[in-house]
Amino acid sequence: MTSLIRYTFFFLFFFLFQVFLARNVEIGAGMQLFVLPIFLMILPFNTSIFVMMSLGFLLGILADSLMNSYGLNASSLVLFAYFRPLVFSLFLPKDGYDNLKEPTLRDMGWRWFLLTYGLLLLLHLVWFFILEIFRLGEWLLILRNTFMSFVFSYFVALVLQLFFRKQNV
Amino acid sequence: MKNLVAFLIRFRVFLGFLGLQLLCFMVYFQFVTYPRTVFMTTASKVNGSILEGKKTFYDYFLLAQTNNKLQAENAQLRSVTFDNYYKLQRPEFYKNDTLYRQSFRYISAEIIRASSQQRNNYFTINAGQFQGLKQGMGVVSQNGVVGVVYKVGKQFSLVKSVLTSDINLDVIIGKNEIRGILKWNGKNPKIGSITGVSRDIVVPRWSEVRTQGATGIFPKGLLLGKVLTKRSMEDQSLWDIDVLFSEDLKNVHSVYIIRSLIMEELKLLHKDIPFDNQ
Repeated sequence: MTSLIRYTFFFLFFFLFQVFLARNVEIGAGMQLFVLPIFLMILPFNTSIFVMMSLGFLLGILADSLMNSYGLNASSLVLFAYFRPLVFSLFLPKDGYDNLKEPTLRDMGWRWFLLTYGLLLLLHLVWFFILEIFRLGEWLLILRNTFMSFVFSYFVALVLQLFFRKQNV
Repeated sequence: MKNLVAFLIRFRVFLGFLGLQLLCFMVYFQFVTYPRTVFMTTASKVNGSILEGKKTFYDYFLLAQTNNKLQAENAQLRSVTFDNYYKLQRPEFYKNDTLYRQSFRYISAEIIRASSQQRNNYFTINAGQFQGLKQGMGVVSQNGVVGVVYKVGKQFSLVKSVLTSDINLDVIIGKNEIRGILKWNGKNPKIGSITGVSRDIVVPRWSEVRTQGATGIFPKGLLLGKVLTKRSMEDQSLWDIDVLFSEDLKNVHSVYIIRSLIMEELKLLHKDIPFDNQ
């Protein structure tokens, strides 16, 4: 029960963070901040993939309706949820995943978190910008936006992870 | 039947994924292809009021700035009054008792949400059907052209900003009124690009770019920006001209929507242009 409340809090936190804060950060040169994927990342290891995809869709479509990105975030988050088990099995520790642990920096360590989240975020962003720009002739723009946003969002995700690290919830 | 069920069970994850993606694409293409639907965008009532609440909060930080801008604009408007009128060249018919007829009217609105980082950018403004807005009306601020009304809700509307790939505004450059088409390449929100100008025409640097007014959406001669640089396009005998926008599109807060009183007449006329059937 407590975990349900906890994840509801995370859902609302990342939603509000994305819509009211991340959208207003305008640095230029294609840098955009994506924090919604962190929510899908930190769901427990034994979460059903259907639950994950539905939550991704819901979170994405809610954020989209407030940001005029019409289904782009939803689509990318569903992709993120779909690939999460695959990427997790790529970086499987020797004795498998412990269901008591969580897929966070605190529980799984630097190397594991950097690799899995990096790969998943990259997938998410490539998919997002290909859909948004929708023209392969502008592949340079897709590449630039993906790279700049990746660096920025990756950094902020790590800072947020460190922020929640001390807190023993 | 048994095989079908087995197939469905085996690929249930992928099918679920496909189903949700289809749903996303439906939302996406509904937005792109049917500009009338307001559902799930910031032009809808629920989302609009959420954003307006946020806007009223942020407004307090900008009160002084907005005031200055409005004062400057008032002063300018007092000195220039006949810009939006055209002369009726019929001195014989004096019955109207006037020489000028108004062809554009302005409706004021506030921007409650804006973006300038995406490939195609939209503004949400707090005026809609109640204020008499219609799809396709022009939107300007005091410093220049901002965009065109894209979707109209009851109280809010969505404006397609000049920072979109297919805005295609017809513009004129400099004193010689060279004609071109304005687009945006998605790289820098301060710079737009003009195509369609032949390379044998001299385009001086810093010449002003203004609206052409051919479609009747905007009056002729509204400022858009200045020519920054020009490059020759590959494989074509055309210039690729960079324009520095006169309005800082990251910091627009109040705009005017132009209601054109001559557009219907222009549309009717243009309908009669015969097609060449060769």
